[in-house]
Amino acid sequence: MTYEIDREAPHEMVRRDFLRRLSMASAASLIASEPKRLLTASDQLDSPEASTLNPVATADACILLWMGGGMAAPDTFDPKHYIPYRNGLPVAEMLSTFPAIETSVDGLQICQGLENLASVMDRGTLIRSAIQEDLGSILHSRHQYHWHTGYVPPQTVACPHLGAWIARVLGRRDSFIPPFINIGQRLEGVGESEELKAFTTAGFFGSEFGPMNLPYPMDAAKAVRPPAGMTEGRFSERRKLFERLLDSSPDRRKLSDYQTQSILRSLDGVHKLLSSKDRHAFDLSLEDEVSRSRYGDTRFGQGCLLARRLVESGARFIEVTTEYVPFLHWDTHANGHETVARMHREIDAPIAQLILDLEQKGLLDRTLVVVASEFSRDALIEGVPGSSAADQATEKVDVVSAMKHYGLHRHFTGGTSVVMFGGGMKRGFVYGKTADRRPLVAVENPVSIADLHATILTALGISPKTGFDVEGRPFYVTKDGHGSCVTELFA
Amino acid sequence: MIHSCIVLIQLGRPLALFVALIALASHSTFADAKQAIDFSHEVVPILRRHCVDCHAGPQAKGGLSINGREELIDSGTVVVGEALASELVSRLVAEDADIRMPPPDRPQVSSKESLILRRWIDEGLVWERGFRFDADRYQPPVKLKSVNVSHQTESAINPIDEILRRENYIAENAVSDELFYRRVSLDLLGLLPKVDQSREFVADQRSQKRQILIDQLLTQSIDYADHWMSFFNDLFRNDYSGTGFITGGRRQITNWLYDSLRENKPYDAMARELIAPIGDETSGFADGIRWRGEVSAGQTVEIQFAQSVAQAFLGINLKCASCHDSFIDRWKLEDAYGLAAIYSARPLDLYRCDQPLGRVSSPAWLFPEIGQVDPDASRKDRLLQLSVLVTSPDNGSFSRAIVNRIWYRLMGRGIVHPVDAMQSEPWSEDLLDFLAQFLIDNDYNLKSLLRLIVNSRAYQSESVQGNGRPDDTFRFEGPMTKRLTAEQFLDAVWQITGAGPEQYDATVSRDKFDETAGDLPRLQADWIWGSSAAEDSVPPAGERIAFRKIFNFETVPHKAGAVVTCDNSFQLFVNGSYLGTGDNWLSPEGFIFTDMLTSGENEIIVVGNNAGDSPNPAGLFFEAQFTMPAGNTLSIFSDASWNYSGDVSVNQKDLHRDSTAEWQSVTVLKPLNVWEQAVERLAPSVLHRVVSGKRLMARAALMKNDPLMKSLGRPMREQIVTMRPTDFTALEAMDLSNGDAFSETLRNGSLKLLRDTSRPIPDLVVYLYEFAYSRKPTPEELEITLQYLGAKPNENQLSDLLWSIFMSPEFLLVR
Repeated sequence: MTYEIDREAPHEMVRRDFLRRLSMASAASLIASEPKRLLTASDQLDSPEASTLNPVATADACILLWMGGGMAAPDTFDPKHYIPYRNGLPVAEMLSTFPAIETSVDGLQICQGLENLASVMDRGTLIRSAIQEDLGSILHSRHQYHWHTGYVPPQTVACPHLGAWIARVLGRRDSFIPPFINIGQRLEGVGESEELKAFTTAGFFGSEFGPMNLPYPMDAAKAVRPPAGMTEGRFSERRKLFERLLDSSPDRRKLSDYQTQSILRSLDGVHKLLSSKDRHAFDLSLEDEVSRSRYGDTRFGQGCLLARRLVESGARFIEVTTEYVPFLHWDTHANGHETVARMHREIDAPIAQLILDLEQKGLLDRTLVVVASEFSRDALIEGVPGSSAADQATEKVDVVSAMKHYGLHRHFTGGTSVVMFGGGMKRGFVYGKTADRRPLVAVENPVSIADLHATILTALGISPKTGFDVEGRPFYVTKDGHGSCVTELFA
Repeated sequence: MIHSCIVLIQLGRPLALFVALIALASHSTFADAKQAIDFSHEVVPILRRHCVDCHAGPQAKGGLSINGREELIDSGTVVVGEALASELVSRLVAEDADIRMPPPDRPQVSSKESLILRRWIDEGLVWERGFRFDADRYQPPVKLKSVNVSHQTESAINPIDEILRRENYIAENAVSDELFYRRVSLDLLGLLPKVDQSREFVADQRSQKRQILIDQLLTQSIDYADHWMSFFNDLFRNDYSGTGFITGGRRQITNWLYDSLRENKPYDAMARELIAPIGDETSGFADGIRWRGEVSAGQTVEIQFAQSVAQAFLGINLKCASCHDSFIDRWKLEDAYGLAAIYSARPLDLYRCDQPLGRVSSPAWLFPEIGQVDPDASRKDRLLQLSVLVTSPDNGSFSRAIVNRIWYRLMGRGIVHPVDAMQSEPWSEDLLDFLAQFLIDNDYNLKSLLRLIVNSRAYQSESVQGNGRPDDTFRFEGPMTKRLTAEQFLDAVWQITGAGPEQYDATVSRDKFDETAGDLPRLQADWIWGSSAAEDSVPPAGERIAFRKIFNFETVPHKAGAVVTCDNSFQLFVNGSYLGTGDNWLSPEGFIFTDMLTSGENEIIVVGNNAGDSPNPAGLFFEAQFTMPAGNTLSIFSDASWNYSGDVSVNQKDLHRDSTAEWQSVTVLKPLNVWEQAVERLAPSVLHRVVSGKRLMARAALMKNDPLMKSLGRPMREQIVTMRPTDFTALEAMDLSNGDAFSETLRNGSLKLLRDTSRPIPDLVVYLYEFAYSRKPTPEELEITLQYLGAKPNENQLSDLLWSIFMSPEFLLVR
């Protein structure tokens, strides 16, 4: 097996003398310590397959708008027959709890409550046939893990988040903004936080490619400022002192150690970010009041605004979440209709505004915005172990007897909607289709997580077969390298 | 496709044909049929599911073993490239139940699976290089292996070195004295060596000096307990804050754990007291966390008990088996539930993946070969029986798990790694089982184990770099370079700057046990109360009375200190001024009040409060010690000479007394046993500590978790997480570079250093280097730092130097 020498390494080893020396001294250890990238056919430029396997990027950046908790497609982007609430409504008749509205695309309807989004659907591609594997009893954190890493937990190695893969393969754009930023998800103090942390990680790539977590977008600027009471001048003098001392340390012969490198590179990255003008991208107070208010005052809305500012300044991969907290937000186990109505309000204006702003700034063409969730919902019971998606649509109770029962309260993996904007995707395009009667499974062009990832990665110029040698076995960005790009989605 | 149809038609099973066609059709819709068969991900799971139980590992029923490709071909059941001619395939669909495989009583190979197997054979029986079904199913023997060594102690040839040499593991170069001291001090006590002690050690010419140092470090039982609290808190998921406490769904074992470590309680006894709780002080482990709201069947407290006991004490992961039979090891759903049922106070229904199975699990533990719990015994007895079985010397997994954890902590990598996957093969079975047996033979004395390991040449050799990831081909070449843990990092910073916090959150009676105190004062105080306690009557709940003692000094003492406790609480006033309070009568409080005394008359007032809803015992214990200018000591203590009054009240910290207050003689009580015990155990050292002015540093291990420690890798302890990160993360770099909390720590540290030090600045720099790195600065380093600091540095400049020192790999790593 042959390996590629880490192409990213040389230009990450920056200006400073000690780091330059470090890079000379440690090329060997770099190769030895990190997972090694596998040389594939795509890397051989004279290979006949190179042009298809080594895709040409149609996007430089990706924003994943994560609808954590399970966004019901029939109540959002895939309306079915609507029946309003009434006491005694047979559950079997309850398909959509919102009526459909027209969009800017002829013949395309989405659910009432998403009027702003309806007006920008002509900029997007709507996949209605995304499917997920049934992982036994359907659990959010496992499906979120699966969606974000491409692998079903548990795994014998720590799987990297999609953002970490992108960070590892593409690195930063021409800015000091960390290549993987995670906005809006608290990882402490919320339910299942350990499970969330399990995939909010660079896994075997090491923390260097891990997420910069900004759970509160309004406070993001604080994360990139010198500490309270320290001037920027002093911050930079301190850094110089550190470098000079490191450079003259008798310990420097050990600078090639992998742990030492992880220390130095982490510190270096922070210093560069804090001393560059890129840090202003984090500061929402620099956004004018009118444009800030268009995004609403929710954390998700402000997160979308932050994502836009970061992309403008050269961020690579950003996830903005409505936040997964068990039984909150999209995790509508009860009172689904009213909760989803609130979620409509939370996402509708910010996403539409993000698309319009990116377009107006000329960034939409090279920025891929993806709206996705770990699975959809249905009014009927979720899967039981070993069941297929069709089995997930079996009844639990017969009739709706109170408003709080009105909604799509059950997990469903057989047909989920994903919206993609910009980044080389077609405009005003709908792909795939779900049945109009239960089970609402994808009946046309099913798109698995692996294929969806392959599509996103291809747009970013990354082969879905990109692999690394991990603990002696090949590990690929899409499961076993099998994800295949849905080429029909590209403009 | 047509090919496979023919087979089925030949076998005369039209229904199967129909199913197969459907399966094939749907398969080709969703996956790329052109793709070659993926052995690891498509074939192996099928073989595992249906074949390996009887035809792999040591099993070779009917003479068929599929451990490796060669064996499979040699068996003659497969014709490579010709699925249709292969017995393996025809047997899958054979009508005859005697020929059919798998046997009819087992789940059958589905048509989709059978198609994959046929394609696999047709495509040439592709096999992953090196893969064997018997290789990854290592099964640790229940009992320990007997390992012969020529010496059983750390003297002469350390048995660890003997075993390693025998197995050709070589750790070459001895680490320098300076680095050895730093390493062993951090590993055993979590502290940096002090500068003068380090110099002394290096200068020491005795050949046994390392052994002497180790023995001395291990006698520092407070520092030892402080440090190992982190390790055992991680292991037993004990913490001072976190999920569950707010609703009373979780209980700490902090005090018990701290005392156990301080006393070096045998590890098997610790385990027994946790598995079969001896009372509220140890029940926190077994009772786990009662989560709010509904939890899945896999997170009930009963199942948590099974998971925690298995993981913490046996290194066995029952988390998979808590929902269904494990895919990764031998444990089954019933094993997890059996263990849970031992703990359960009610009949425990079996659930698979949250679906009830309609069966009740029977209490049983994991290794019946060494004995079993009586399912009909009471819950209490079942737990006792379990605690004895777990800690039985016949149960190798108990001793192996802990020695492996300790080896990991000292050496940076377990003999089995990761340490919670004890089903994996150790890189040296002899070493693991020798250490396990050594621990048993030494009555589970953890300090003996530590002493043995750190005395080995293996431990005392130069550290080597791991590559940060597990590796099947691991070879021991010396201890791995380790990162300072979150707690070690903060402790070291506080040690060097002298500006750590004074208070800590753990309610341990820590510095009240200072053995270094020498002769402790003999206390003479009586327990006193008012007339409500006279003649053995019981004081009413809510009673509040003030106790008073007036005394005279001709000259003011050099030092005045007191120890006070009161059932239930008190406020202390000296000459009318508030001094302090205490509300835990089990934990006497110490006070210094030298500055509050005058020559002539002095007055002490203690306001005591009795809590509760109904009459209950109340009492005050007070003793003060004064060091007089002449060098002699005097004492004042609660006794019959004190007075009390009910006409005194306290508002916040102000004392209000009625001018007409009547003062009466107190009642001297016959103290309760618990009062006497608390006072006997703690009060002398508290008084000694305050009078002598010795104060132990707060340790990070005793503080609540905070964002900085979290980013430095201290786990949340809502689950058992026993390994700390090896890498340095971007998040940490941010918290340490621009986080306000750490910045403030540095600022306070430099202010303190500048205030306290009388050293010239160059000497201060040398001191910092020696403390932080265990070496002097080079002339070049000295020049750079002095240039930065200037002749008269301010706290900013010194902070910056401290930051540069603390961020250097030389400081952050334990080499």
